[in-house]
Parts: sequence; C-alpha cells; structure tokens
Amino acid sequence: MNAGQSRYGYIFVSGYTLLLLAFGLLPTLYAIYLAFTRNGAFVGVDNFVRVFNDYRFLPAVAHVALYIVYWLISLIVFVVILAIIVHAIRVRWLGNTARFLFYIPGAIAGASSVLLWLFVLDPTVSPVSGLLRSMGYESLVNVVAVDNLPVVFTVIAFWAGAGGWIVIMYGALNNISSDIMEAARIDGAGPIQTAWHIQLPMLKKWISYMGIMSLAAGTQLFVEPKILAQATKNVVPEDYSLNQLAYLYAFRQNDFSGSAAISLVLLVVALGLSAVFIFRGRLFEHD
Amino acid sequence: MTDLAVRRRRVLTPGQWIGRALVTIVLLVFAAFFILPIIWLLLAPTKSNTQLLLESPFSFGSFDQLAGNWNELFAFGSGVFSTWIGNSAYYSFAALAITLLVSIPAGYALALIEFKGRRLLLVTTLIVMLIPNTALVLPIFLELSAARLIGNPLAVILPFSFFPFGVYLTYIYFSTAVSRDLLNAARIDGAGELRVFAQVAMPLATPVIALVGFFSFVSNWNNYFLPFLVVGGEKIPVQVGLANLLANVPAFNPTTVGSIVIQLPTLALATLLSVAPILLIFLFAQRFLVEGMTAGGTKE
Amino acid sequence: MSQQSSPRRRLTRLMTVAAAAAAGLLVLSGCSPSGSGAVEGSFGFTEAEQVPDSEITVWVDASREPAVTAFQEAYPDIPVKLETYDGGAGGSGSFQSKITLMDQAGEGWPDVVFSTQQNDAIWASKQTANGEQGFAAPLDKGFFDQEFLDGFAPGSLDFATIDGTVYGLRNDLAQTVFYYNQTLLDQFGYEVPTTWEEYGELGDKLAAEHPGYILGSMGDSFMTYVYYGGSQSPVFQSPEPAVFHSDTSDENAQNISKIIDGMLANGTLVQDSFFSAEFAEKYADKLVGMPGPVWYTGAIFQGGLATPAGQIGVAPPLSWEGGEVAAGNVGGGQWYASSHSKNLEAVKTFLEFVTSADEFQVEASSGYPAYTSAAEKWLDKLAGDAYFVNDDFETVMSDAAGQIWDGWNVTSWSPETAWSKVVIPGIAAGETVESLLPAWQKELENEATVNGYTVK
Repeated sequence: MNAGQSRYGYIFVSGYTLLLLAFGLLPTLYAIYLAFTRNGAFVGVDNFVRVFNDYRFLPAVAHVALYIVYWLISLIVFVVILAIIVHAIRVRWLGNTARFLFYIPGAIAGASSVLLWLFVLDPTVSPVSGLLRSMGYESLVNVVAVDNLPVVFTVIAFWAGAGGWIVIMYGALNNISSDIMEAARIDGAGPIQTAWHIQLPMLKKWISYMGIMSLAAGTQLFVEPKILAQATKNVVPEDYSLNQLAYLYAFRQNDFSGSAAISLVLLVVALGLSAVFIFRGRLFEHD
Repeated sequence: MTDLAVRRRRVLTPGQWIGRALVTIVLLVFAAFFILPIIWLLLAPTKSNTQLLLESPFSFGSFDQLAGNWNELFAFGSGVFSTWIGNSAYYSFAALAITLLVSIPAGYALALIEFKGRRLLLVTTLIVMLIPNTALVLPIFLELSAARLIGNPLAVILPFSFFPFGVYLTYIYFSTAVSRDLLNAARIDGAGELRVFAQVAMPLATPVIALVGFFSFVSNWNNYFLPFLVVGGEKIPVQVGLANLLANVPAFNPTTVGSIVIQLPTLALATLLSVAPILLIFLFAQRFLVEGMTAGGTKE
Repeated sequence: MSQQSSPRRRLTRLMTVAAAAAAGLLVLSGCSPSGSGAVEGSFGFTEAEQVPDSEITVWVDASREPAVTAFQEAYPDIPVKLETYDGGAGGSGSFQSKITLMDQAGEGWPDVVFSTQQNDAIWASKQTANGEQGFAAPLDKGFFDQEFLDGFAPGSLDFATIDGTVYGLRNDLAQTVFYYNQTLLDQFGYEVPTTWEEYGELGDKLAAEHPGYILGSMGDSFMTYVYYGGSQSPVFQSPEPAVFHSDTSDENAQNISKIIDGMLANGTLVQDSFFSAEFAEKYADKLVGMPGPVWYTGAIFQGGLATPAGQIGVAPPLSWEGGEVAAGNVGGGQWYASSHSKNLEAVKTFLEFVTSADEFQVEASSGYPAYTSAAEKWLDKLAGDAYFVNDDFETVMSDAAGQIWDGWNVTSWSPETAWSKVVIPGIAAGETVESLLPAWQKELENEATVNGYTVK
C-alpha cells in the first residue's frame, strides 16, 4: 500500500463517507437511542413493549405480511413466465416492444402511480369499469375494502415494478449459452421442459435476489395506503401499514420514541435481509 | 431470415397451436395491463369532467378542453403547481450534482486505490444499497428534527445526495472498464493522483456518470416519503403536492363544495405532468435502465 | 504496507469523522430562527416579533374559500395568502400533522386556520414535543374584546375552550333538523315524520309505493353525528377529562341501527356521498326528506342539488316516541389564530370579519352563523328569499340550536375515523349496522386507549 495513494483514497471517499455517516449511520444510532429512552431517560424495551401492545400493531403486521405474500407470489410466477415468453419471441421488434411496454410503467412511481390507480380502481371513471362492475364493485369504497387491499397494493406494485425485473430476467436468460439450449432441443425437449430444466435453474439466483429485495421493500409499505386513506376519507385506515403507524406516532401522538421503535424494527428487518443476501448470496462480488 | 421462413412454414401440431395461442393471450393480457392505464392517463386530461364520467374511457376529448384543464391546474392556488414542479427540479438537480461530486471519486477510489478501510466501506455500501431507501426515512426525520433542520431545503437535498447505489455502479464500472496498468503508466510518467483521476479516469467515466445521474434523478424525483416528512408549505415537491391536490377534488373530499375545486381531468393532468420528465427520460434512455439494473450481475 | 495504524487510531479517526458530520449538521442548524425576537405579550402567549402589514397565510377548506375572497374585497390593503387543504374532514388529522411539521421546522406556520373538526383545540393548546408554545393562540386573554366574544351564541365556544381559555372561534352552529321536500310529500300524500319510528315507517312505505325515492345517505362519515348523536345514543362520551365511555348495546343505539338497516335494505338510504357528482345526478329530484345539520341548507340544497326555492321545509329534529327532542351536532367548524403570527393585528381583523361580518356569514356561508347577530340576518335572508316552504323555519332552527344533546362529547380524536374504518366499508360489503356495532365500539375504545383515555 502506497502512503501517498492511500491519502488520496481517503480524500476521494471523504465526501461520500460523510454522507454515509450523516444519513446512514447517525440516523440509525439516533433511532436506537430514541427507541431505548423516553424523554432522555433509559427505559429498556419499554417503548417496544408499548408499540407491540398497541392494538394497531399486530393488524398492521398482518396487513403488510399478507400483502408481501401476494406480491412475492405474483412477482415470482408472472415475472418468470413473462421473461421466458418474451425471450422466446423470435421476431426482434416484437420482443423489444413487449419489454418496452412492460417496463414503461416504472416511470410512474410514488404518489403519481397511486393517483393513477385511484382512477383505474374507481368504477365511476375507470377505463375498466365494466370489469370492476362485473366483479360486483360499484364504488371505490367497495374496491378498496380492507380485505381487498393486499391484492390492490399487489396490482399497483406489480404494475410499476414488474417490468424492471422482467428486463433483468430477460438479460439473464440471454446469458445462457445457445449451445445448451440447442442441445436440449436436439434431445427432444419441448419449450416447457427447457424452461423447467434449464432456464429456471439458471434464473434461481436472480429470483432469490428479486424475492429478497421485494420482501424488504414490501415491509416499507407507506405511500399507497397513505394516499388511498386520504382519497377514501379513511375507509382505507390511516394505520394500515407499519410505516403509517410509525408516522402517526411521530406526527399525531408526538411520541418520537415509539416512532423510533417501530422504524428500528423495520430497519433491522431490512438490514438483516440485505446482509444475508450479501454474505450468502454471492450475487455481488466485493473481493 | 431463411431460418424464420422455414419455421413459419412448418405445420403446427394441435398441441403446439394451443400452446402458441395461450402464450399470445398471456402476452396480450399483460401488455394491456401495463399500457392501458398510461394510455388512459394521456387521454383523460383532454376531457371535461362529464366526458370523463360518461364517454368511452379511451376517447379523445378536445385540445380546447386540454387547454382549459391546463389553465385550471396552473391557476390553482395562484400557480402553486409550478412552484411544486420547481421545487422537485431544485431538489433533484441539487442532489444530482452533489451525488456525482461525491460518488464518482468514491467509486473510483474503491475500485482502483488501495487504502485501509476500503473493504469495510465497500461492504457497508453494499448493505446500505440493498436496504429500501424508505427504511431510513423516519430515522433521518428524527435526526433532522434533533438538528432542527426540518423545513430547510437541505433536509431534502442532503439525504437525496446520499446514494450508495451510485457509488456501487461507479465502483463496478471502474474495476471492469479501467485497468490499473493504465493508471500506473500515468503515475510512472510522473502524474500525481489528482491528475491521474482528472486526466486518465474521468475522460473514460462519461457512461457511468450518465448512468448514476439517471438513477439518482429518477429516484429523487419520484420520492414521496422523505419530503413528505421533512418539508411543508411552499417547499413541497410535486409528489407531495399531488396528494394535497387530491384534497381539493370533490369526488375524494366531502367538504369541497366551494368554488375552488380541482376536477378529475385536471387531477389526471397533474398526475401526468408530475411524471412527465421521468417518462421522457424512460422513453429515451432504455439502454441505461437495462444496463444499470443488470450491473450487479455483470461481474462474475 | 508502509503504515499499520493501530485499532485505537482507527477508532479515533472514525470518531473524528462522525463528530465532523454531527458538527456539520449543527452548523447548518445555526440558521434556525426559533425564538428570535419573541416577546411575552399582553395576550397570554409569547408573541413573535411583529411585522406590520406583512402578509398573512390562511388555511381553509374549499368551502370556506369565499370567506377569504370576501375579506380581500373588504380589506384590499391587508395581503392574504390563501391555501386550501382538506379541513381535517373525516378526521384526517391533516391540520395536526401539518402543524407538527411546522413546529419541527420552527417556521412556516399559517396565521389562521379553519378546521371542520371540533376537537383541534385539545392538541393545539398544548406545548409541542420540543417544549414550545402550542399553535393556537389564546383568544380571550386580551386578544379579542370580551364584548366581541360575547356575541357568539351561548355555549358555541365550549368545544374550543380548554381549561377555561378560549382557543378557537366557532364558524357556524351545526344542530340537526329534519329537512323535507313538500312538493314530493304532497304528491305522495305523506306527512312529515316527527319521530325516528315514523322515519323508519316512512322508509317502508316509500320503498313499497315509490321505489327509487330516498330519505338520506349513509355515505359520509359525519352520519355518526346525525344518526347516533341525534338519536341520543351514548356512543361517544367523555364524562370527565381523559375518560371515555361508549355503549352501543344501549337501547337507542340498537333501535336507530335497526331503523338504518331497514332503510339500507329497502333502498331509502343510499351509500353515495352527498358530495359526490353521482349523488346530485341520481337523487336531485328524488330526495323526500332527511335529518341533517342546518348547513345542509347551503351546502347541499342550494349547492350540490340546486333545489329551487319553495320546495324544501324544515321540521324539528326527530325524537324517540314519547321522548324529548334532541338535536345532533355535526361539525360547525372552528377558526384558529396562530400564536406564531407576525401580524396579529391583521389576524384579529380577519377573524372578526369571517366570523361576524355580513359579507361572508350572511351572504356567502352555507351554515347557520355561530355569531348571533349574523345568525339573525342569515335567517332573515332565507326568509326574504322564501327559500323554505314553512314560515316558522327560523324558530325551528334556533330552537334546535338549544336542543343539542349533551351526551355526545369532544375528545382528542375524531369519532369519524372509526365510523369510516368499520361501518362504511361494512355496509358497503352488505353487512348490517347492527352486526357492526360491537366492532365499532371496540374500535372507538381502542382509539381512546391509544389517545391516553381510560375506557369506562
């Protein structure tokens, strides 16, 4: 190691390191501090006990968990199927167009996508009002009934997020050497056998990447229920997800310790998933 | 082409025929699912409220009506919509500049310079990069609140500038696209570290600068949660403003019977405009997107 | 490997960097304006440094926008910046959330806020989380003359009075009455119901003889006040501070729920919001009668439905057979002044204007003014327009104002959220209100607990 070089190494990473400390490490440490204290005094796990006993906590966990289950299943099944289908399209412009159509909704994220879906889900203005009415939904309140919400959020998240994953899977499928595919065809394997025995195993790594990333992102559910709650005058409850609950603690109950406790739980989950993936998944090489 | 022609002529068995039909249907259904909402969004602002409620969802209204909705939107709250768009642009571009300024050298150093703590910084970057960015929002809010920075534009810009994914992309880029020998050759010629970086590495870095810029801009423009918590009033970006606009739409808010109301087509127009920059970037930057998303797997 | 730093040195370095980051944050926060130039005022709170003629920012819901317009016409020299928000409708809590953000920022507060809810004074009068003075300025400690405050209808400032101090000015009274369409009643040969029982029976008759005509809607969350407050159901009570009581098994609550269920089933109560575009489209000429607050006059009949004069009548609130007449109370918003305002003089002028001047309360307000002299003129104006068919509507309305049931209280959270969360989706899914009562009560009690109330 060269001392001069090394010094410039520090200079080059200094700006980024400062930001990493200020907005990665410091907030985490401060949240830990808040979560274990109340008004400056150490209270052990009291704050955690309080939020876990809050009548809204377990339902929020259940809501988020159910949504994640729906989302992961639909993501894994449909993304893989669509990627394999698009990959099998021989006509070049058709394949490109299909991928383009799938990923373009990714541009519409955050509050904008929820607003757009608000229109789509409201039978009075929806472009698919016929479909909604045929399923027995006459009003927005019917569509976004609490029991439907996991599906509704899955549809919104899938719409905006699946395209990106399809493109990634497509790229991974392209990496399978054509020799292997040809050999399979000569052995008489049909498209389904090829997909099952050759393509799917090759995608496994990417599927688990997608699964873990989406699981971590799913726990963070916030903007969708937040805006639906506003649009439906709280028929979609304002305490539907964990992040909403953490928000209510901070902004409605002036209880920063409780808020920190909830966000710390979520942060630990996200950190755990990400660490497991990096140290076990071997997807990202870090020499 | 001949291969394709031969294939087409081959007679399909009934099983294959059904298979192909099924595949076609699946493709069409999903294509419709992905694209119809966007087409609807492009058409809705051209209609009046009644047209939106009564006419076919995929009909075109008129340009006059579009102009009317446009005027209604920009007249709302004495033009507050333009302020929101301006705020979004300010936050996103300021953060973009800082991100590039700090990430490019950092990624470069991580890839090509040996220093103590490099591995620790790299692993930390990877871990933080894989955390959904919303996970740190509430802790950041609590921190900024303790630092009494809430309401300051910096409360949005600085957290936005922290973009570990950008550092990772730069790191991958420099460790694959630039060889250490090239840098060493320059060093032997007597160039100092700064000159090596500025005159050897930077000219090669244009693609990764564009890539990091693209992802940073898109994720900051679309961010709702952080600005929602840390800025209010006049300082909110358009994503947060959209939700405020919703409160003035009679269909979604029972007390709105006064004269200043936003009609549904105007809300649709606001939604469209709020994503217009990103939509344009997506249309013209497909390649970046694909490259960036698969960056993790390119180094095997 | 020319240098090998010891672990301790590495740690020192890390800490130096962390300290530098923290210091950076603190330096940045040096520009925070908190507390600069503030003086203990003569109005019972610490005033911000006053800037004469500075612009005042006013938050209102869209329905109160005409108040601001009227003010700007009357006082063109006072600059006012209008911002609309949802007014806290449906118990959204947006007023509180937004102010919490401003409290955090230490700047950016509006000067005047209108809220559709009754309970904001409870939090707005309290110190903030970081120990600064609450948002709402005390109004009766010298800010307003007692004479002006005495001009409000007796009891109308009670909701905004915390520990004997007034923090908000009532915009309008919101007692319920029974509205009926005389033209339709004559056509069908029906009488105006006077009791809840008759209301339910009228529903059966109307559904059988004239299907498609209706007697109200359950689509809005404030129906909890109209039907449960109005029927004297002890669902939302706070007999003493920090104590909450709810009993949906009470006879009144059970009976009114059965009546509602019957009318939902036979279609005389619908589920569209009064304020939706479809409601006006579908039911403008189908509404035979309904219980509702006096602000329906402007907000629904003259507003959304655009019913012409000479059709609608106003009868006393419904009672139980053999019981006493009692009115529900459905909102009737509040105006708050910011204790952080830099132009209190303008704030005072503004608040006096919007609550008492004819230009808004008489000419442009949808509801029954809380300010007594304005209320008299508002009633006279309706009489002059001959809007209502019955001549005694003034007495009916003013009597009802004195008959508001005192068994429905105000707490730090809104009763509307539980109704929205449990009952509205429940009936939309086809369940009966009666079957939802236990879940509704549970939700209310849970909310009480979270808000620090003891459930008794």
